[in-house]
Amino acid sequence: MTATFDNLSAGDVIDGPKFAVSRESIRLFCDASLDYNPLHLDDDYMKGNFGKTNFGGIIMHGMNNFGLISRMLTDWACPAGAVHRRLETRWVKPVRPGDTIQPSGIIKAKQTTEKSRWVLIDVVVKNQREEKVATGEALVEFPRDLFCQ
Amino acid sequence: MAQAEAFETDFWKDANLRKVWDDIVPGEPRKTIPYTLTKEAIELYCKSVGEDHPIYFDEAYAKTTRYGGLIAPPSIHILLMFSCTPADDWMRSPGTVNAGQSWSYNIPARPNDVITLQARALDKFIKRERLFVVHDNVFFNQNGDVICSGRGWTIRPL
Repeated sequence: MTATFDNLSAGDVIDGPKFAVSRESIRLFCDASLDYNPLHLDDDYMKGNFGKTNFGGIIMHGMNNFGLISRMLTDWACPAGAVHRRLETRWVKPVRPGDTIQPSGIIKAKQTTEKSRWVLIDVVVKNQREEKVATGEALVEFPRDLFCQ
Repeated sequence: MAQAEAFETDFWKDANLRKVWDDIVPGEPRKTIPYTLTKEAIELYCKSVGEDHPIYFDEAYAKTTRYGGLIAPPSIHILLMFSCTPADDWMRSPGTVNAGQSWSYNIPARPNDVITLQARALDKFIKRERLFVVHDNVFFNQNGDVICSGRGWTIRPL
């Protein structure tokens, strides 16, 4: 069922797309984002230490998580005539080739302002071990004259 | 794709020209360059994260929506951050670790938009022996309209 501002409640869940992470998907994200940081490309470089951290091999771009969460939000908001307005994220665990990640959201609160209506959403990305790899918060606007299709 | 072909993908090249944490002055504008966003660049970005909504690909469909034409996904700023900055920008320093981001979206970017960036470090600090910088970024289209604005936290290489 398409979400409407009135029928949404705190605790409602949004399921995002599963995403299989591979060396190829990471390389494609390099080409698409122009972010060729050796963290995502160079196995020899990644054998070294970063301060107290050793990643042990190449890792996925944190912003790939961000892009997946954003995809989940627009795919959910657009059919409802709503607009993705804000996303804040933190990366809490590295993602590696072979992992499968999936974003999801939980409606946290609704807010009406003088000119519009807003939904706050807690977002998380988990890997195949149900470990959180990214967390954050999003804001989706449900304009009074609904915007998208 | 002339812009993409000209892009230096070896981030080690000229790495010594980039500012390290000590050199970064919060408040000082970063050098930026205008970038023409192409339909092909949007399609490649969409492919990399599995975006498949027709509003990004299907012009006939996009014309029937209230956007009146093709748009880019909101998170296209991930690409714009690198396409609007020069090779000596410190965002490219090998070992830069992204710790978090927050972005607000105003209007969508569209194919053929000429996009400009205003960017600076806003703050820098040390936490648990790690060197952090807070980044402040605003992207505009050719009409001077804000597309999106965002803040990022990165850990600088030691």
